[in-house]
Amino acid sequence: MIDALLRIAENRWFRLVLVGMVLLGVQTTILNDMRPFGVSLQVMVLLAAASGLARGSETGAVAGFVVGLLYDLVLTTPLGLGAAVFAVVGYASGLANTFVHAPTWWTRMLMAAAASALGMFLMPLALEVTGTEGALTGQVFLIALVVAVFNALATPPAHWVCRWALSDRTRVR
Amino acid sequence: MAGQPFTRRRVILLLALTSVLLVTLDLRGSGAVNGVRSAFGVVFRPIESAARVVTNPIESTWNGIVRYDDLEDENRRLRDLIAYNDGAAIAAVASVREAQELLALNGLPTLAGISSCTAQVVGQSPSNFSQTVEINRGSECGIKVGMPVLNAAGLIGKVTGVFNKRAVVRLVTDPGYSLAVKVVNTPPTTTTTTIPGGESAPSTTSTSTTTTVPRTTTTTGIPGFTPGATVATTSTIPVPGATTTVPGDGSPNQPGQATKSPITVPAGVDLPLRETGALEGRGLSRSPFVRFIESQSRFGEVAVGSPIVTAGGATSLAPPGIVVGTVSKVVRRPGTLGPLLEVDLSANLDYLNFVRVLLYRPSTERVDEP
Repeated sequence: MIDALLRIAENRWFRLVLVGMVLLGVQTTILNDMRPFGVSLQVMVLLAAASGLARGSETGAVAGFVVGLLYDLVLTTPLGLGAAVFAVVGYASGLANTFVHAPTWWTRMLMAAAASALGMFLMPLALEVTGTEGALTGQVFLIALVVAVFNALATPPAHWVCRWALSDRTRVR
Repeated sequence: MAGQPFTRRRVILLLALTSVLLVTLDLRGSGAVNGVRSAFGVVFRPIESAARVVTNPIESTWNGIVRYDDLEDENRRLRDLIAYNDGAAIAAVASVREAQELLALNGLPTLAGISSCTAQVVGQSPSNFSQTVEINRGSECGIKVGMPVLNAAGLIGKVTGVFNKRAVVRLVTDPGYSLAVKVVNTPPTTTTTTIPGGESAPSTTSTSTTTTVPRTTTTTGIPGFTPGATVATTSTIPVPGATTTVPGDGSPNQPGQATKSPITVPAGVDLPLRETGALEGRGLSRSPFVRFIESQSRFGEVAVGSPIVTAGGATSLAPPGIVVGTVSKVVRRPGTLGPLLEVDLSANLDYLNFVRVLLYRPSTERVDEP
């Protein structure tokens, strides 16, 4: 029984869900109230971007989907919308990372910022597509800028967490 | 090597299809999606509570740094406002009771006859693209999806999700919000204006359409009251939401000038006219607007400051008479489209604490109990 539980706990997707839920707790509490320039910082989109940076575009897409789905479960937006957007963010960050010859901490920060900004543009676009009016406004530029700057600063720890969470079972043991 | 792009394509295709499937299910109101959300809420709630406890000191520090001056200013302003409103509130309560009695006497529905559930706002949406708040009462209090939510100032939104001990409220500013409202206006009117306090001011006659509502209401001197005539008063009450002309810089406390506000009493023939429209949210940092207002000569030009209240009706989710706000801007449109009205909400949605959920169901949705 305990072995079975340990095997589940060693699954990298399970670890990602656990990390995602902890960060979702942070997102819905402190980041929800601390709004610099009136913008809610988006740590969940950072998690999706960092997954792509840590483990490549394919894993990034799936990780982004999982993280987005967790986020969708606490939002009132249609379920699956954030998942799709975050999957694109994870995939894009992973893909961008492959074009860098020798990724360093600052290149990862830049790519996480760009991927986060992309997500902040895609989200209102997706909302408009699904029938929500008024989501795509000039305010999106400010949101994208603030989220990108914050996520760039928080990329090093997020990258480290994602590398750990998405590592293979043998490496964890 | 050849299999890798195929796998990647397959994964992406699978993710895209899953997203589309989930979005479709959710938009069609699938019960399974709601069930998953509820179950996740049960699992996630303890994690969120723990996170709140851990992050509370950081949050308090942040608020101390960022909002301290604002809070001090607001405290000062609120103290002034309380002093200003104290006297008016007592007289207003009396007026409301009289109005309710009158409505009851005529068999008309009143807000007083509707049960309500008081709740506290415990969180807001972490998203930048939707305006919702979470309250700490749910189905155990009788709350159901669609019920209107208001605070002391007026309407703030409607319930869109209900769980056992919590509920999600979509705010009026959310782009997905829509509600039937009525705009109270007056036709071109003749009004008599005077300044109380013994000084007799020259009576003025105006045919301007910008004067739409009585700006003040008398509290004394009711015997002998004649509509359209001047009434000498000892105190005045500002009508909530109406634009009140206060001499000086407009601050509530004006020593020596408090009784010099002009009192305008409409004549009997100039009773306010009502026109219904649809209130729609427009998202973050943009005022909601009212559309589908018809351009009728009898209704006249809609004036800035005209009060907006819920229209009610058999299919409306809110009863009639809940204060929504006032018209802050009139956007005229060509042809018969009618104007768009920007709304200045009476409730401050940035600082929500205690709210009241009206346990109201429109008559078309009520199930008669045996």
